[in-house]
Amino acid sequence: MRLFIWKDLIVILRDRSEIMVLLLMPFILIGILGFALGGILGGDSSEIDVQVALVAEDNTEEGTAQFLQELEEIELPDELHEEIAETARTLNPAKLLKEFLENEDLKEIVTVEEMKASEASRMLEAGELDAVLTLPEGFTYTSLQAMIWNEEISADVIVTLSENGSLYANIFADLIEGFVEVLNLESAIASAAGPEAAREGEPAETGGVIPIAQNEPVNSMQYYSIGMAVMFVLYVAGTIASKAYVEKHEQVYNRIILSGTHPAKYLSGKWMTGTLFSFLQMGILFTLSAFIFRTFSLDSINFWTGMVFITFVLALCIGSLTSLLTSISIRFESDAVSSIFSGGVVTLFAFAGGSFFPLAGMPQVIVEAGNWTPNGIAMTAYLLWLQGFEWTVLLPSLNRLLLLSAVLLAASVIIFPRRRSVTS
Amino acid sequence: MLETEELSKAFKGKTVVEGVSLYLEKGESVGLLGPNGAGKSTTISMISSLMKPTSGEVLLHGENVIKNPGKIRKVLGVVPQDIALYQELTAYENLKFFGRIYGLKGQMLTEKIKEVFSLVGLTDRQGDILNTFSGGMKRRVNIAAALLHDPEILIMDEPTVGIDPQSRSYILDMIRELNLQKGITVLYTSHYMEEVERLCDRVYIMDHGKIISSGTKEELKSILSGEETILMELDRAYPEMEKEFQQLDSIRQVIETEKGLKLISVKGSRLLSSLFQIADRHEAQVTNVNIQEPSLEDVFLHLTGRKLRD
Ligand SMILES: Nc1ncnc2c1ncn2[C@@H]1O[C@H](COP(=O)(O)OP(=O)(O)O)[C@@H](O)[C@H]1O
Ligand SMILES: [Mg+2]
Repeated sequence: MRLFIWKDLIVILRDRSEIMVLLLMPFILIGILGFALGGILGGDSSEIDVQVALVAEDNTEEGTAQFLQELEEIELPDELHEEIAETARTLNPAKLLKEFLENEDLKEIVTVEEMKASEASRMLEAGELDAVLTLPEGFTYTSLQAMIWNEEISADVIVTLSENGSLYANIFADLIEGFVEVLNLESAIASAAGPEAAREGEPAETGGVIPIAQNEPVNSMQYYSIGMAVMFVLYVAGTIASKAYVEKHEQVYNRIILSGTHPAKYLSGKWMTGTLFSFLQMGILFTLSAFIFRTFSLDSINFWTGMVFITFVLALCIGSLTSLLTSISIRFESDAVSSIFSGGVVTLFAFAGGSFFPLAGMPQVIVEAGNWTPNGIAMTAYLLWLQGFEWTVLLPSLNRLLLLSAVLLAASVIIFPRRRSVTS
Repeated sequence: MLETEELSKAFKGKTVVEGVSLYLEKGESVGLLGPNGAGKSTTISMISSLMKPTSGEVLLHGENVIKNPGKIRKVLGVVPQDIALYQELTAYENLKFFGRIYGLKGQMLTEKIKEVFSLVGLTDRQGDILNTFSGGMKRRVNIAAALLHDPEILIMDEPTVGIDPQSRSYILDMIRELNLQKGITVLYTSHYMEEVERLCDRVYIMDHGKIISSGTKEELKSILSGEETILMELDRAYPEMEKEFQQLDSIRQVIETEKGLKLISVKGSRLLSSLFQIADRHEAQVTNVNIQEPSLEDVFLHLTGRKLRD
């Protein structure tokens, strides 16, 4: 088996034009797109439009009143008492949040509309919203407690992201996460004069409702490093299949069969070469991108472990795709399928998978289709991982890749000429 | 040792090989001669188990091998019509790959590769990438790859197509040597009758999917023993004169060639003077005349009324 992989790898590596397509082109495109379209995801562009509904289930006055009432019962020097009461009256957490969302920077990318819970969830389901931000009952009260007493209770905001996991929704989740942290930071300062001043508050948790995003939003360099890698890895399948066609057409395949080699060995060789090569290709692209464009931080082992894992799962899927395209090329002794694949299907897949630009705002059909392309699925997984989501959030994507992988592989085995004699 | 019985192949109802029965004795060198499209490659594919016959049998030592191709694959070395090699690999890497898939390894493999490279005269170039080779050299590696597992029978499908005369000559000598000195049985397919004439003891002539004649070279030529061939070179074509030639009793066939005419005539008919008289009357300029013994080419012509290569 190693023999077959060795041979297939050399055949590609010695073909300069293939190397150009598989390694140089995506790298150049990452550079060009990453720099040229730097604005789109960098935050200062109007291209992004996150549609958010704000659902206030909390009554600010009641919350403040409740806080003040409890304040009465605490024994404190009069001046301090008065000062805290004054702070509580002026601090309006809900208003702060609204102001935050409507400040100069965010106004360009986030559109906030206040509405009722029922209305919001209807629109979210219809895909008209990217996220719903709910201020639950008691929000003002808990926030004041957190900010003033520096209590370790969370100032719960509930963020519900739209189902298709659009990038925008994820960006928004990041923003809110950032805000909640800031709130707590401020609360620490605000309570500096208070009785609990000495207690260093840990950042409040946002509660279990949204996964916590710890990283910065994805920047354009990162976006296109991933976009181009998952697009160009598709060419690996097309390339190996077209080489398989040459093997069949020039009777090298016959020669292999004549040696008594089982055809299954040949096919699994292609599968493994596809997997190995695509893994290496993406590995090289990500590493180069990290070193030359400083796309990804090189410090975090955890981050890179995740990248390696996602890349491996995607590589398996590309291996299976390679196997399928090979089967078709050999069975029908035609390179039509591999050339149609490389000549058009890759571009369509890349488009639907979001390699060129984020898909939010695209018709739902395209988004759905993209969710079934190997590159599209992997892209989602990479982006979630980049934003610091937990493993569990990535699992559906990874499972889907594995499922797709199994289906492609099964199809390839069915299509591959099984009989030991080559032509009927 | 190898035999086919009434081998036939039809593609989508179109019969391209029909009732081909041939045999190879151990140590023989047998030619399969026929024009392009005659069905030679199809026949070879069926013999070598790459293609299932529509009907008929392939027997190795009397045993039917169609159901059990493993047996024949082991003893067969097949040189395909195409250069069935990896253009991106070096000649050495190619042979290493094909040797390994035949189960050779280590010292055995290294020695075998050395041996076949010296046989095909490419020891100096074995480290070069195949792409940089001339057509003739590629053809030689193509043959070398079929010899690694010491086949008893070598089946070659037009192994000299499209190469220069020196390379061709080298290859023909090499095959002859393999046949005579190593006792490898050879089935040589070609549409070049000179090659078959030079290499083979026995010949099958194939046309339109059928064997139309077979035998030793001498047997085949004796079909034409009563004939001789007159080549007449002319400065241009003279259609009227041609017609007149055709009417002569002792002329069997008149064929236009690039340089003039080829006349197949009854042996010893002393035609020349009458031919010249007719040419004179048509004011034709005869630049050369040549009388030949029949060749296999002429046999083919006689049998089919067509030339081998057109
Ligand atoms: N796979 C195929 N399908 C249909 N027709 C074929 C196929 N292979 C060969 N033929 C036809 O069979 C005939 C004989 O072909 P081939 O055996 O290659 O002839 P040769 O080797 O003598 O030139 C040709 O007319 C060719 O077009
Ligand atoms: Mg042929």
